[in-house]
Amino acid sequence: MHPLDFGIIVAYLALIVFVGLRLSGKVKTAKDFFLAGRSLSWYVIGLSIIGTNIGADSYVGAAGNAYKVGIAQANFEWIGAIPAMILASLVFIPLYWKARVYSIPEYLGQRYSQSVRVLAAGITCIVAVFAIGVALWAIALTLQTYLGWPIWVGIMVTGTVVGLYSIAGGLAAVAFTDTLQVCIMFLGGLVIVGLGFSEAGGVSGFAATLVQENPTHLQAYLPADHEEFPWPAVILGLGIVLSPAYWCGGQAILQRTLGARSQWDASAGMMFAALGKSFVPLLVVFPGLLALVMHANIEYPDMALPWVIKNVLPPGISGLMFIAIIAALQSTIDSGINSTSLLITRDIRHVLMKNPNPQSDLVVGRYLTLIILLLAMCIAPLISRMGGIYTFIQTILSLFQGPMLALLLLGALTRRPTPRAGLITLLTGVPLSAVILASGVNMLYVAFISFVYSLAALWIISSFTTPTTADLSKLTYFPWKRL
Amino acid sequence: MELPVIWANYISISGFAFLALLVWLIPKRLIFTGTKDTSRWRDIRVWATALILLQLTVYLNL
Repeated sequence: MHPLDFGIIVAYLALIVFVGLRLSGKVKTAKDFFLAGRSLSWYVIGLSIIGTNIGADSYVGAAGNAYKVGIAQANFEWIGAIPAMILASLVFIPLYWKARVYSIPEYLGQRYSQSVRVLAAGITCIVAVFAIGVALWAIALTLQTYLGWPIWVGIMVTGTVVGLYSIAGGLAAVAFTDTLQVCIMFLGGLVIVGLGFSEAGGVSGFAATLVQENPTHLQAYLPADHEEFPWPAVILGLGIVLSPAYWCGGQAILQRTLGARSQWDASAGMMFAALGKSFVPLLVVFPGLLALVMHANIEYPDMALPWVIKNVLPPGISGLMFIAIIAALQSTIDSGINSTSLLITRDIRHVLMKNPNPQSDLVVGRYLTLIILLLAMCIAPLISRMGGIYTFIQTILSLFQGPMLALLLLGALTRRPTPRAGLITLLTGVPLSAVILASGVNMLYVAFISFVYSLAALWIISSFTTPTTADLSKLTYFPWKRL
Repeated sequence: MELPVIWANYISISGFAFLALLVWLIPKRLIFTGTKDTSRWRDIRVWATALILLQLTVYLNL
């Protein structure tokens, strides 16, 4: 490793730990720890959302998928993100603000029942721990490829660094380090794009080589009979279900909007993130295509990005890009452990314990953050046996995103769903998804089928169960005056 | 039945165009909830429209 690269990496790690520890002095209450004392401005929120989103599943994994399927992978950043982010910004974030909640399960608890709240929080926590484990594994894989570190050393070092600033500084530290990390990511990504085009003979040379050897790699969509990403499944499963469920109901993403200093900052932050998201394919898809154009000699597609860093970038810049990947993955981990800790502290502990003491939320939250991190570190080494990173995360999400989205959409936009209908739909929708997935159906179709089932179940069961007694004027979105 | 790939582009373009219409149905007072500064650049419906135009460009060309 070049000394310049090493210096840059050490300086970066020292800087984020310093920022995290410095912000720890401002954390006096659980609200400071989980919602940054409701102090975040729109640009910090926007950059932090991008940082949280670009993680294991969309940096190393997306580059790997781009290597396999081409620019169609960018649909996860465009049709599979932008419409849902606009919906979240203009409809769901104002609704959550009106309900004054700390979390999405808390909103579901108010709209449906405490049982739905605990169940939604429980499912989210399980998925989050796996996602954190995946991110840790992806960092360890990158460290192994680039520095030759054993997997377990990479997991230990990453866990220690992230744990230090996340446990000390809470959401504020997470958001500000995310902001720094996203700036590094975009800087590193732009350098790769510039050098990549230069190596490949300019934009036209790059495109010509790519299309000549891989005719479908510059098409936005793949044929309807494509094994992994058939276009009807991408539009129905990703565009209509997985994406809105993630952007309108994902706790790790939305938590920083609930920590905004005003409702406008929260909505504007999400919209700003959507603007940044439009350019994310340059960072996560382009390296995969570049590895293909340069005929990279790699064992499996997930190694495309580490290969580009090692073989295309000069000393100093490769250190910066290496940090960009680590930063992307770290921001997923820090956001995940903070939001999971919040869900267990408030949405599970407060409901299940007879006399929870809200004064102890801060201490409990910090301990839980540590425990969740340790658990994910134990899971991380097992991830390599589960296939491609991106596919693994999306497969888990496809199991419960359909039912969750149905509850959110019908609950937020209509007054019809009842508490019991919400609980029954969630309890039956997730196992149904698992059964369909086990029968070999594409995960994107699974998400769509379970969403349609959940909409129908919620609607029908609500017609013969008792309506909620909650004040729905604060829990449903209707922007116009009622006649 | 064969489903041509170009249909996916048409569906995406139609979806974004429909979304642009919906965005402008939201009353202005809701957009500025929580802020006193109602300058034009802070109207996030304008931000949304710019984003949608960017996406339309992508799906019209790929």
